[in-house]
Amino acid sequence: MPYHEFECSKVIPERKQHAVIKGAGEDLTSCLPKGYLNTIPGTISERGCAYCGAKHVIGTPMKDVIHISHGPVGCTYDTWQTKRYISDNNNFQLKYTFATDVKEKHIVFGAEKVLKQNIIEAFKAFPEIKRMTIYQTCATALIGDDIEAVAQEVMDEMPEVDIFVCNSPGFAGPSQSGGHHKINIAWLNQKVGTLEPKITSDYVINYVGEYNIQGDQEVMLDYFHRMGIQVLSTFTGNSSYDDLRGMHRAHLNVLECARSAEYICDELRARYGIPRLDIDGFGFEALGNSLKKVGLFFGIEDRAQAIIDEETAKWKPQLDWYKERLRDKKVCLWPGGSKLWHWAHAIQAEMGVKVVSVYTKFGHQGDMEKGISRCGEGALAIDDPNELENQEAMRMLKPDVIFTGKRPGEVAKKMRVPYLNAHAYHNGPYKGFEGWVRFARDIYNAIYSPIYQLSGLDISKDEIAADKGFVTRRMLSDAGLSDEIKSSPILTEYTGKYDSVTDLRAKTYPEFERKTAASAAE
Amino acid sequence: MTCDVKVKDRVGTINPIFTCQPAGAQFASIGIKDCIGIVHGGQGCVMFVRLLISQHLKESFEIASSSVHEDGAVFGACGRVEEGIDVLLARYPNIRVIPIITTCSTEVIGDDVDGVVTKLEEGLLKEKYADRDIQLLAIHTPSFVGSMVTGYDVAVRDFVKKFAKKGEPNDKINLITGWVNPGDVKELKHLLAEMDIDATVLFEIESFDSPMMPDGSAVSHGNTTIEDLADTANAKATIALNRYEGGKAAQYLEKTFDIPTIIGPTPIGIRNTDSFLHNLKALTGKPIPPSLVRERGVALDALTDLTHMFLADKKVAIYGNPDLVIGLAEFCLDLEMKPVLLLLGDDNASYVDDPRIKALRDNVDYGMEIITNADFWDLENRIKNEGLKLDLILGHSKGRFISIDYDIPMVRVGFPTYDRAGLYRHPVVGYGGAIWLVEQMANALFTDMEHKKNKEWLLNVW
Repeated sequence: MPYHEFECSKVIPERKQHAVIKGAGEDLTSCLPKGYLNTIPGTISERGCAYCGAKHVIGTPMKDVIHISHGPVGCTYDTWQTKRYISDNNNFQLKYTFATDVKEKHIVFGAEKVLKQNIIEAFKAFPEIKRMTIYQTCATALIGDDIEAVAQEVMDEMPEVDIFVCNSPGFAGPSQSGGHHKINIAWLNQKVGTLEPKITSDYVINYVGEYNIQGDQEVMLDYFHRMGIQVLSTFTGNSSYDDLRGMHRAHLNVLECARSAEYICDELRARYGIPRLDIDGFGFEALGNSLKKVGLFFGIEDRAQAIIDEETAKWKPQLDWYKERLRDKKVCLWPGGSKLWHWAHAIQAEMGVKVVSVYTKFGHQGDMEKGISRCGEGALAIDDPNELENQEAMRMLKPDVIFTGKRPGEVAKKMRVPYLNAHAYHNGPYKGFEGWVRFARDIYNAIYSPIYQLSGLDISKDEIAADKGFVTRRMLSDAGLSDEIKSSPILTEYTGKYDSVTDLRAKTYPEFERKTAASAAE
Repeated sequence: MTCDVKVKDRVGTINPIFTCQPAGAQFASIGIKDCIGIVHGGQGCVMFVRLLISQHLKESFEIASSSVHEDGAVFGACGRVEEGIDVLLARYPNIRVIPIITTCSTEVIGDDVDGVVTKLEEGLLKEKYADRDIQLLAIHTPSFVGSMVTGYDVAVRDFVKKFAKKGEPNDKINLITGWVNPGDVKELKHLLAEMDIDATVLFEIESFDSPMMPDGSAVSHGNTTIEDLADTANAKATIALNRYEGGKAAQYLEKTFDIPTIIGPTPIGIRNTDSFLHNLKALTGKPIPPSLVRERGVALDALTDLTHMFLADKKVAIYGNPDLVIGLAEFCLDLEMKPVLLLLGDDNASYVDDPRIKALRDNVDYGMEIITNADFWDLENRIKNEGLKLDLILGHSKGRFISIDYDIPMVRVGFPTYDRAGLYRHPVVGYGGAIWLVEQMANALFTDMEHKKNKEWLLNVW
C-alpha cells in the first residue's frame, strides 16, 4: 500500500494507514486508506458527533417542525445557525431551536417530566406547528430517559400533534456518520407509512440525501417538476414532516448524498420494494446523466434531454469561460463526506482544475474508493484528517485553493491559501447547471483575488510596484490566455442573479397528461 | 412603574442566549500561550465550540477532544484522556499546559479526571516527557450546571489556582478582563499604559486580531504565559472587571495571597470607566493623567452630539453575558435611553443580589424587566404577542432574526458577533469603547430612519 506517513504523525503509527498517495498505475486494490474507525483522541480531528449527524445534518432541515434537543442547552446552541439549509417557509428551521434545558437536578432525578413540560410549552409557543422531532443527547442517554414513552403520552393527550424521536447521543459512533445512520432507520421505523400521500403523477419519487444548502433542493426540484415528476418528499432539505411520512408510496428513490442517506433507501427497497437510483446534482455531465437515468426509469428521457439541452446551451459558455481560466489550478478537496467523490471528477473534467488532495472527516472506505478512483496520479487522500496533517499537506502540495469548512478555512487563510466553504458554500447553490457555474465563479473569485497576490509581498524586502493603483482579477487570470479565448464572443462570465433560488418558488409548471385513468385515480 | 427581576416562566429554552459551561472553559483556555485544552466528552463539544469561536474571531486555534465513543460511555473513558494527552504532547513539542475540560457525559459517567492528572504526573510525564515541564489540570464544567459564563469563571479560577505561586512582590496589578474581545484588551492596556501601570492581563487575547504574513507563517494564540499566571500571586492588587467572569479567580487570589481586590464595575460607558480609573488610582497610587482627561473629553464630545437629540427615550432590549448587559444598561441610562428589557441567559441565583441590579430596582422610574434564565423567546414573545415596542436591540448574533423579522435595528455586541465584520477588533470598554458604542447605536438608528422613511430628512442638517 502506498501509505503516506506525515512527519507530524510519525509518533502515532496507526495514522499511517489513514493516508495514501495515488501512484502511477495504482487502483483501489493497492491504494485505499482505512476509514470510519474510532478517532484517535488528542489528534485534533475535525470530526463532530453522532448527535449533530442526526439532528443538525438530517433532522433540522425539515422545515415545519419544532426540533427539540433533550439535554443541556449547549448541544442546541452550538449547532444552531451554523449551516445554510434554507426553506421556502421563511426558514423556520433555521430560526428556531429548542432545548429542554436539562440541569443538575434533572440529571439526578430524571428529566422525563421536564421533557413533557417542554413539549407542551413549545407547541403552545408555536400553535401553527403540529410536528416535532426530539433528539437525545449524551446526558439524557446516560441517565436513561424514556423519550419515546413521553412522546407517546403527549401524542395520546394531543391527538393533533405528531412526534418523532431520535436516539443518537453524541458518543454513538466514531463521527457524525453514526447519527446519519440512526436517524435514517429511526425515521423509517417510526414514521414512514403513517400517512398516505396524494399521488398526482405517473412518476413519483423521493429525493433522498439532499439538504437544500443555499437552495440546492429547490434547483433540483425545478428539473423534476419540468419533467412532470412528483417529488413526494425530500429527505430532508426543505421538506415537510408529513411528506416524509409518505415516502413508502414513491416509485423510485433518487439518492443524492449516499453517505448520509443510503440507509433509508436500502431499507425502503427491502421493505417496500422501491428501487434506489444514485444521482449527482453537481456537474453538467453528471447532472445530465442523472436526469437521463431518472427519465429512462420512467420512459421520459425526452423530457430530461430537453432540460439538458436548454440548460447546457444557456450555461455551458459561462462554465467554459471559467474553465479556460482555472486550468491546472491545484485544489485540495477537503469536505466532510460525500463531496469528495461528487466533486473530484466533475471539477477536473469541467473546470480544468487539478485535485491534488481529497480528504473526508466522516466518510467510510466506500467514499474513499469513489473519491480516489476519480482523482489523478499523485493525489493525496486523507481519512479523518487533523490540524497538523492538514498544514503539512498544504505546505507540501501548495494548493491554489482549498474547499473545506469554516474553521479549517481560517487555517488556510493564514497560510495564504484561499478557501471556499465546501459544506455551506460561499455563494451557492452549487447544484444544477447554473449552480455549477456559480461554483466555478466562486473558485475563480477566490484564486484570482488580488488580495492573495498582495499578501505574499514582503514590503520590507520585495520590490514594490509603486506605479500600480489596482489589479483586477482579469489582469491576473487572462495574462497567459490566447487572444482567441480572451476575446471570445461565445464565452462569458456568469450572468445570473445574486439570489438564483427565490424566483423558482413562484414558478408554474406545465400539466403533463397522465397515462391511464386507473393510475390517475391511484 | 419600576424595575422587576423575574425568572423565565417556562421550563424549556426556545433559542438559547448562552451555550454551556465547557464552551466558556474552552474560550478561557485559548488565552494561554502553549496551552491546548482537551475536552473530555463527545467530539461535537469541541468541534462546534471551535467553529463558534472561529466564526466570532475569524481565526483558528487548537482545542483537542478525547473523542469519547460508545465504549467509553459504557465502560468509562479515562483511558481516552490519557491517550489523548500523550498524542498531544508527542505532536506539539511546545505545549506546556493541558487543561482537561469535562462535559455533561463524562461528569455523568463519573470519570475521575483528577485521578488521571495524578496518574499521568506520576507515570507518563515522568517516563516519557521528563525533559519537559508539562502542567495538567482538571476543569470541571458539566454542561447541566451554569452556563458558558460560569464555565469561563470556573476555568479562570482553576488556571489561577493551579499556577499562582507566592514569590517576590512584582509591583504589578492583576487585571482579569472577563469574556472580552481582542479590541477590549487593547483598549484596557492603553488605559493602563496611560496610567503608567504594569499589569498582568488575564487573558492576553489581543493577538487574536492577528495578521496574514507574507510567508504564511502566522498563527493565532493567546499570550498569557504560565509565568504570568504564577506571578498573579505576587501582585499588589487585583481588579476583576467582571463579577461573573473572573470574579472567582480574583476572590481566590484575595483569600489565598491576601491581595487587595476590587471586582467590577465593568468599565462600559464614561461613568464605569471613571470608576475603573479611580480604582486603579486607589490601588496603585498613580494619578489619572491629563491625557485621559482629554480622551474622556473626546468621548463626551462624541456622546453630546448624539444623546438628547437622537438617543433620549429610545427603548432598548439588551441580552448576553450578565456583566456586559448590566454595563450596557448603565451606559444607556447615562445616554438618556430606556433599557426596558434585560435578558440574562442562565439561572444564576445571585443576579438578584448584584448591587448594580439593586440600584436599577431602586432608581428606574419606568417599566424595566430583568429576566434571568432567559432565552430569546422572552424577547420575541414580548414583541410578537405582548406589544413590546423597541427602538433598538443590543446583543450578539444568535438573536439576529428577531431584529430582521421584526425590523428593529440592532447593534451587535458581545459574543458571538459573527454576522458583522470585524467587531472583535473594537472595544466596548473604556472611553474608546464608549465612543464606538454610541456611534454604532446612533448609526443603526440613522440607517433605520432611512430604511423606514421615518423622519429621515432630520439628518439633512445634523
